Amino acid sequence: MYRALAYVRRDIIRWSRAPMNVLSTLAMPCAWLLFMGLVMPVEWDGNYLDYVTPSILVMTVMTAGLSGGSSLMFDKMLGYLNKFLAMPAPRESILAGKIMFITIRGLLQATVILVISILIGATILSPLAYLEMYLILFMFGVFFSSLGTTVALYLGNHDSYAAFQSFVSMPLYFASTALVSYDMMPTWLFWIAKLNPLSYAIDATRAAAAGSFPLMEMSILLVLSVCMVLLCGRKFRKATMK
Amino acid sequence: MKILAHGLTKDYGNNRAVNGIDLSVDNEVYGLLGPNGSGKTTTVSMLTTLMRPTAGSAVICGHDIATEQSAVRECMSYVPQDMAVDIRMTGRENVDFFARLYGIRDRHERRRRVEDALEIMNLSDRADDLTKGYSGGMRRRLELAQALVHQPEVLFLDEPTVGLDVAARRSIWEYIVNLKNHGVTIFVTTHQMDEAERYCDRVGILKKGDLVNEGVPSDLTSQMKSVITIRTDSHAPLKELPEGVALVRDENGEIMVTSDNGSESLPAMLALLNDEGIKVYSSTVREPTLEDVYLQSVGKMNSDSDGFNQKQFENMMRRR
Ligand SMILES: Nc1ncnc2c1ncn2[C@@H]1O[C@H](COP(=O)(O)OP(=O)(O)OP(=O)(O)O)[C@@H](O)[C@H]1O
Ligand SMILES: [Mg+2]
Repeated sequence: MYRALAYVRRDIIRWSRAPMNVLSTLAMPCAWLLFMGLVMPVEWDGNYLDYVTPSILVMTVMTAGLSGGSSLMFDKMLGYLNKFLAMPAPRESILAGKIMFITIRGLLQATVILVISILIGATILSPLAYLEMYLILFMFGVFFSSLGTTVALYLGNHDSYAAFQSFVSMPLYFASTALVSYDMMPTWLFWIAKLNPLSYAIDATRAAAAGSFPLMEMSILLVLSVCMVLLCGRKFRKATMK
Repeated sequence: MKILAHGLTKDYGNNRAVNGIDLSVDNEVYGLLGPNGSGKTTTVSMLTTLMRPTAGSAVICGHDIATEQSAVRECMSYVPQDMAVDIRMTGRENVDFFARLYGIRDRHERRRRVEDALEIMNLSDRADDLTKGYSGGMRRRLELAQALVHQPEVLFLDEPTVGLDVAARRSIWEYIVNLKNHGVTIFVTTHQMDEAERYCDRVGILKKGDLVNEGVPSDLTSQMKSVITIRTDSHAPLKELPEGVALVRDENGEIMVTSDNGSESLPAMLALLNDEGIKVYSSTVREPTLEDVYLQSVGKMNSDSDGFNQKQFENMMRRR
């Protein structure tokens, strides 16, 4: 754990020293939030901002997870990984540290989005609801950071990974309950959205915001993220044991 | 013995990169030499537990590289061939990060070890600058400092001086020798024959995965002959030669001979020429260097430069 935290610390220092990175990863969700919350003059029962904020939080965490996926691949390409692997620290701590860092970074960014949403008029929720939301976002972050890391290790180069990233994130986002609710979808989209892991996270976050405890969605997310971490661990061992 | 290897072998598919080499290295600077692609990095990767050998075994500080990997990693440090320091962190942060990875939890202990390592590598006054601004030599020294916070018994360095200028090379080697004097075993790979000859206690020469020659540099060079070249005013061929001297060429007053001991044979040659009344314009002795040993061991054109036909090249050179 100590070693894993050392890796997290290193990644946080490196990340915070690159202000452009920090800004650019926040720019997209901020733009969505402002666009959805302020510009979209749709007919909607109640506060559309409250409806759309959970989905933008989830999107933030997803984008952070996917963009962090290439981080371990870069460590490998740039020769850091070889140094780490020759160290007495358990090798799993490298992966654990990476997933932790990407998830923490995603949660920090989500917090910025949350604060902005409140500033532009979203309803303030109870502490318990926020706690639930963060738990959900955390599991979802772990899921996407290990997914991204696995795919990046598998593809092994930055270009194909960037392609994967853009290929995956937009469709996942639109084919989910991020922007519209199930009852407004055509049947085919309904089923895709039902199977989309993004929908689970969004539905769960919304339910948490509405004050209920979405046990089903949260259990599914837990199982998904545990499976993804195990898969990622397997890929990592394969990629490092020659 | 700090490093013991037996029949260490590595295949990449059908390509045998390291072919059953034996090594035994104690507290010394051991240099592994060889052309590009001869298997140096592969050997180091196996010894540092980054790669499993296809066959054979090795023991570092008494721990088996196949079955006691974490004990092996506990006693050694490794600085890979490709330089990698975090450019967005300061020198001190880079070293401190490694100290944490090596599990030095106590804050005071860690600080002391970090400062010591920076001090040894002469980086203290630039320790708070981002390493982005470091020169190549400083980055290499920083990597050494990172390896040193661990206080390893064995230090593996893969081409530590590649890409550095003369002064930086020299300072890196002086640090290396200094570490050896403090009891650290150094296993280093290099292409620089002059550096290996000067700073390594022993060298091994790899050729396509085979360890073809090994020994103390001065022993290896003393097995080679010195070359003596003398220019005279006589165009007649020499009638006789001193003992232990072999003729290479005698044309147009230029005599080239080889001998086991150049500095003894030269006076003998000069005396002989004097007796025959031949006037000597100039004379040089070239003592053999490790480079000669190396070239003899691996062949002149023996790196993995594909598509290069040595025979054709030699023919071409001959016609000129
Ligand atoms: N990961 C790998 N997969 C397949 N073949 C490899 C791999 N790494 C090295 N090789 C091959 O193994 C041989 C030895 O390579 P190695 O990198 O050990 O040589 P080297 O002596 O370190 O060379 P250099 O001086 O260029 O660093 C080469 O023929 C190389 O092509
Ligand atoms: Mg190499």
